[in-house]
Amino acid sequence: MNETSATDIRPLVLVEGLRKSFGSHEVLKGIDLSVQRGEIVAIIGPSGSGKSTLLRCVNQLETHTAGTVTVAGVTIGPDSASHDRELQKLRRNVGMVFQSFNLFPHLNVLRNVSIAQQRVLGRSQAEADERSMQLLTRVGLADKAKQYPARCSGGQQQRIAIARALALDPQIMLFDEPTSALDPELGLEVLAVMRELAEGGMTMIVVTHEMHFAEDVSNRVLIMADGEIIEQGPSREVMQKPQTERARQFLSAVRDR
Amino acid sequence: MLDILGNLVTGVPMTLFLTFGALLVGVILGIPICMARRSHHPVLSNLAAAVIVAIRSIPPLVWLFLIYFGLGSGILRLSPLVAALGGLGLITAVNMAEIYRGSLAAIHAGQWEASQALGLPRWSRLVEIIGPQVARISLPAVATYAIGLLKDTAVASIIGVPELAFKGTYLSQQTFKGLEIFAAVGFLYIAMSLPIAWVSRLVDARIRQRVAQ
Repeated sequence: MNETSATDIRPLVLVEGLRKSFGSHEVLKGIDLSVQRGEIVAIIGPSGSGKSTLLRCVNQLETHTAGTVTVAGVTIGPDSASHDRELQKLRRNVGMVFQSFNLFPHLNVLRNVSIAQQRVLGRSQAEADERSMQLLTRVGLADKAKQYPARCSGGQQQRIAIARALALDPQIMLFDEPTSALDPELGLEVLAVMRELAEGGMTMIVVTHEMHFAEDVSNRVLIMADGEIIEQGPSREVMQKPQTERARQFLSAVRDR
Repeated sequence: MLDILGNLVTGVPMTLFLTFGALLVGVILGIPICMARRSHHPVLSNLAAAVIVAIRSIPPLVWLFLIYFGLGSGILRLSPLVAALGGLGLITAVNMAEIYRGSLAAIHAGQWEASQALGLPRWSRLVEIIGPQVARISLPAVATYAIGLLKDTAVASIIGVPELAFKGTYLSQQTFKGLEIFAAVGFLYIAMSLPIAWVSRLVDARIRQRVAQ
């Protein structure tokens, strides 16, 4: 855990030659990606291009077929030959936010944010609750602590989910289409929280359909199509002057909406 | 007639004991059976599936005979009560396993994924995240089953467990007042079923109100 010093120049996330097949269908065809500490990477691209699968391979919610995934010094090889302990070590550094929030419906908001702190980090309930309240305050939802998730709007649930992931002090946050299940208005409050996180220096990989977020907040944009990264580079450059025809097609299609 | 009714009522505690005893056995034993049934190990899951089908396909009455007269003849000396509790408990267990399996299927995959992404240890995922949700979804089906089980306990009278139906049979043979006695027996079963249904609905509504999605 001492590999976290600010002077560390090794990438925080390193994906090499990543391949993933579901049966005979190959959804990731050899992805290489490195993410530096403090970087904010947006992954965009048409549905079915493999963006979510790539993200889910980073914290091994999906095992991969070939290649390696390294996060903060923990390397995982193909097809979960790795032990549970290695997986736990890797996930320990990675926070994830889902499209469908996935809060635990039977636990109140405070328990949702506290439970993993106790079980994973070994914090006492009092310590965990204190940290949870700080984070809930930060996402503007301290008053919901005793409510159940069902009583919260989608935007609120997603902000709680962000607080829950942050509570484990991850080194990197993964966002899997965090606003896609939300009305545009509610999406904005989630994006505001993400923007604030970005300004605070959090390393983030964000799979998104929010072109403004990709262009304005992220440092780097990756465009994926058919299981490959077809274009990547500094956000503005990629978004405004895409080099490949496929990327131009995609960007003009999403902009015309 | 009143003393007959008074005599009948002494069978009620045994009926309730059998019902809740078998339910308790089943609710607990159903968990490992369900886990075996869902195991990735093909031998284990097929074995569990076979056991579930076998136990469910044979009528409770035949099971009690098998256990009490079959096992009981030489292999194991079982009291009627233990045989009845064991038989009904086993039948309940496989039914619980199937109820749990259905409830598990109803849980959004995101619940597993979120608990994995958070790095929760396996016990916590099962006991604190998935288990309570399975319990909540299963509750109405379990309550329905419990009411069915309450009535099924009557088969225990055949092997001589002194529960309500046994008392009814005994008293009707003594007094030749079959109609009145069995009407009273029926009434007592209704009287026991209603609170179970009522409590289950109350608990369900309370949980629903809290976590409704």
